[in-house]
Amino acid sequence: MTFNRRRMLHGLGGLAVLTAVPACAFGGNEAETPTGPTGDAGPENPFGVAEDAALEVVIFKGGLGDAYATEVHEPMYAQRFPGAKVEHVATQQIAQTLQPRFAGGDVPDVIANSGTDLMDLGALVDANQLLDLTPLFDAPAIDDPKVKVRDRVVNGSIEAGLVGGKPHALMYVYTAYGLWYDAKLFEANGWQPAQTWADFDALCAKIKAKGLHPFAYPGKNAAYYQYWSILVSAAKIGGNKVLVDIDNLVDGAWTADPVKQSAAAWAEIGAKYLDKSYEGLTHTEVQTAQNQGRIGFFPCGSWLENEQKDQTPDSFEYAMCPLPSVTGGDAMPYAAIRTAAGEGYIVPSQAKNSAGGLEYLRIMLSHEGARGFTERTGSITIVKGAADGLPLSPGNKSVAAAQSAAGDNIVTYNAFENWYKELETELRAKTNALMFGRITADQFCAEMQAKADAVKADSSIPKQQRNG
Amino acid sequence: MKASQRALNGLSHVALAVWAVTVILPIVWTFLASFKTNTEIFTDPLGLPATPSFDSWGRAWETAHVGRYLINSVVVVTAATAGTMLLGSMAAYVLARYSFRGNRFLYYLFVSGLVFPVFLALVPLFFVVRNLGLLDTHTGLVLVYIAYSLPFTVFFLAAFFRTLPDQIAESALLDGASHTRIFFSVMLPMAKPGLVSITIFNVIGQWNQYLLPIVLLSGAVEDKWVLTQGIANISTSAGYQADWPALFAALSLTILPALAVYLVFQRQIQAGLTTGALK
Amino acid sequence: MRRGSGKFVAGFLALPVLVYLVFVIGPYLQAFYLALTDWRGVSGSPEFIGLGNFERLLGDATFWKAVSHHAILLVVLPLATLGIALFFAFLINAGARSGTRGVWGSRFYQAVFFFPQVLAVAAVGVLFQAVYRPDSGGILNGLLNAVGLDNVGWLTDPDLALWSIIAVLVWQAVGFYVVLFSAGMAAIPKEIHEAAALDGAGRGRMFFSVTLPLLWDSLQAAWVYLGIAAFDGFALVAVLSVNRGGPDGATTVLPLEIWRTAFSFSKFGYAAAMGVALFFLTLTFALLALRVTRRERIDLA
Repeated sequence: MTFNRRRMLHGLGGLAVLTAVPACAFGGNEAETPTGPTGDAGPENPFGVAEDAALEVVIFKGGLGDAYATEVHEPMYAQRFPGAKVEHVATQQIAQTLQPRFAGGDVPDVIANSGTDLMDLGALVDANQLLDLTPLFDAPAIDDPKVKVRDRVVNGSIEAGLVGGKPHALMYVYTAYGLWYDAKLFEANGWQPAQTWADFDALCAKIKAKGLHPFAYPGKNAAYYQYWSILVSAAKIGGNKVLVDIDNLVDGAWTADPVKQSAAAWAEIGAKYLDKSYEGLTHTEVQTAQNQGRIGFFPCGSWLENEQKDQTPDSFEYAMCPLPSVTGGDAMPYAAIRTAAGEGYIVPSQAKNSAGGLEYLRIMLSHEGARGFTERTGSITIVKGAADGLPLSPGNKSVAAAQSAAGDNIVTYNAFENWYKELETELRAKTNALMFGRITADQFCAEMQAKADAVKADSSIPKQQRNG
Repeated sequence: MKASQRALNGLSHVALAVWAVTVILPIVWTFLASFKTNTEIFTDPLGLPATPSFDSWGRAWETAHVGRYLINSVVVVTAATAGTMLLGSMAAYVLARYSFRGNRFLYYLFVSGLVFPVFLALVPLFFVVRNLGLLDTHTGLVLVYIAYSLPFTVFFLAAFFRTLPDQIAESALLDGASHTRIFFSVMLPMAKPGLVSITIFNVIGQWNQYLLPIVLLSGAVEDKWVLTQGIANISTSAGYQADWPALFAALSLTILPALAVYLVFQRQIQAGLTTGALK
Repeated sequence: MRRGSGKFVAGFLALPVLVYLVFVIGPYLQAFYLALTDWRGVSGSPEFIGLGNFERLLGDATFWKAVSHHAILLVVLPLATLGIALFFAFLINAGARSGTRGVWGSRFYQAVFFFPQVLAVAAVGVLFQAVYRPDSGGILNGLLNAVGLDNVGWLTDPDLALWSIIAVLVWQAVGFYVVLFSAGMAAIPKEIHEAAALDGAGRGRMFFSVTLPLLWDSLQAAWVYLGIAAFDGFALVAVLSVNRGGPDGATTVLPLEIWRTAFSFSKFGYAAAMGVALFFLTLTFALLALRVTRRERIDLA
């Protein structure tokens, strides 16, 4: 216990007397190992989960819904521990509902930390609030106790959840990113996804001549769909180092040429083809407009098709293509796409049943758990082979084709979105300003660099590093 | 009536009617939109539904639990307003009509609460409620509503109690009535107009409270939610399910009871508000 | 102190004061303390950093932008609301100078105008999403299109967005003050108007030299009330604006920045400092407003 903390508690104690309220529990927490009641550990129960300990699961109920938890993972857990009560909470405001609970030490055992209001993982890890998931990945897999969990997941997916150098989040969903369009509409008009930027521009002009909006993204609540485009294009121009530098807050990372070129290219698309109204529309509004045949390309991840399945008319067939190459000398070929493990699942270190939390994640990573997830959500997980043999939707087929075409040319993820929410928030605002013509590409880069510098200089923000 | 007067009256009606339309139009539009399809809502905002369907209302009622949230809101607000008025009038009365050491201090302590931004207190408040074991309970919410309504209530009721005449209380005191009795059987009845109007203010304020329930009913207690939480939830989940007719049906479901109660008590509400505020 | 009233006073005050101290004063005191720390909301060890957060506030452009929006709200919200409300109240009552019940339909107008007041602000937000929708699906843009005009970016144009949100606040508030002022005007004895009319006062003069001064007390209370409301605006901005407070921060308000800083950036100490700043701003306004608008009371009794 540091001197300052003691003084702090003392101060609060004084307040408590004054206000006749028990001192609030700003209780410290140094433990990063499972806490709470434990049962006998063994090969079948590697974390020593207590048979009858209740488990509280908080699920972000967004595009993936929450049926995968209530119909697959939670019943699986209940089956393994019949005496345990499994409590399910679905919410769309992760941070608002959980932040005070973290501060008070009254936390759930598993959290799907996702959505526009997700919690800042850097802050949580800095405060020792999250369990190191290394024991999970080193535990025997449920399907085959001779194999470790870490060998059942695709390469790079554990690294995607590194915060503070250790895996603190299970990035469960394997997502591909690109431009989405209606394959049938394109076929009917003889349109082909463009490979070069000049072709892309020409194609957009043709689509516009047809009376459609060639390109749109939801500026109101999901500007990040578009900053992904800008950053993926930058990585295709200059290689993944561009993104790694941005994550590591390297000086001048945002003013590097690839970022400038990408921003300039996209700003031009914005100026020529992006209707002003999209800045004020949400992702569902824009996606529904695309389903109604009013939009050509929409930048998004592979959850899109499933998210829209109730709204998509039969005449509409989702397909995804890579972003066109910005220059002739791009470091990565046209076929390169971003695929990344996303959707962080975390176990709080102060959880009453954190062993149960780890076990729940192990269940998610089992063949049955992962397959059930894909069946309910249409999204593929990081568990190798779990979705094999499942019927693929048209959109997923096009994703699989894009993946095999890309081969090893994979654009890496952005870690700063989870590490530095302030930088991320600024990027949303600047992306809209750029795309809707209020700032130039140079201003965009300069202003983002200024914000990155400010974050770097802010001693109250814990810094993270990654190698590649 | 002179011609100019008549013309002026005509213009008055035009101005008044325009404002009335700005109030009515969005609400009527919401009702109509609940009967439309997504495509109709998006592409033809001013059109009527081609094939009106009540399906969306069924979906809204089922998924939005409007009925339950409505009952929760009624329970919480009734208890909280009753508590606010009782505690508020007791404090205001004593502060307004009895001189004692610390009177000014307490009065300003209460009144200063008028300018506290609730945001500032949210997190510490969460701990206070949690440490009392009242998190995720209606009791906790009611107590917090009462506490946060006291500044306004004490401020206005104290002003009101000050204006009441002394003679009746004095003579009752001479007749041997206790202070408590004088308060309940003499002063409160005299203060009725003020009490009514402050009650209405509190009902409206607490009915519309949005931040406090989100923070204080944040656990696995969806069955305890109040209506504003329900609306916020409908609006975000419509964002994920792309079901706008259901969103507008749910919104209509929350507007309708407010409208009904308002129409029934409209005269009392307006009369109550104005008597109080004019004093 | 009156006879034998000590116990009574204490008994009556005990419960309200207790509830108030526990749930209001206590948390605020803690918040004031947190403003002097670097607490990140999830850690166990807030470090005392003195006035560091406040120094940082001075150089925080977003903070000052939010403050400037409150300055605009502080002027425009009361002026627009009270101006419109007085105008309508006058229209409703002026036509009725000879009678007592107001112009034809006055009860209807009052009832309609007042209704937004009873709507939850969350519902109003969803309602105005539909009104302000930036494409042709919006109610306002639909009307504009119907008369051949182009879509307007009510909430996406940085020069317009804040005004669109202020308009919603005014829309919701006007009715209450119409009813309030109407009642006030109706309470002015007929003789006063008659006397003024005999002196040859026209409608306009009657309003400014008779009606307005007699409504001064109500106006003052309304001004303070709307002024305090001008320091909020959280719910509407959060629901309606682009990127919560955008575009380019054009609509942001302090409560929203506090919310974001605390719950999104996990900087509770800094957020608490913003809250303290907001507290002093509101307090300063309230004290100034009460002082400036203090005037001799016109007593009718």
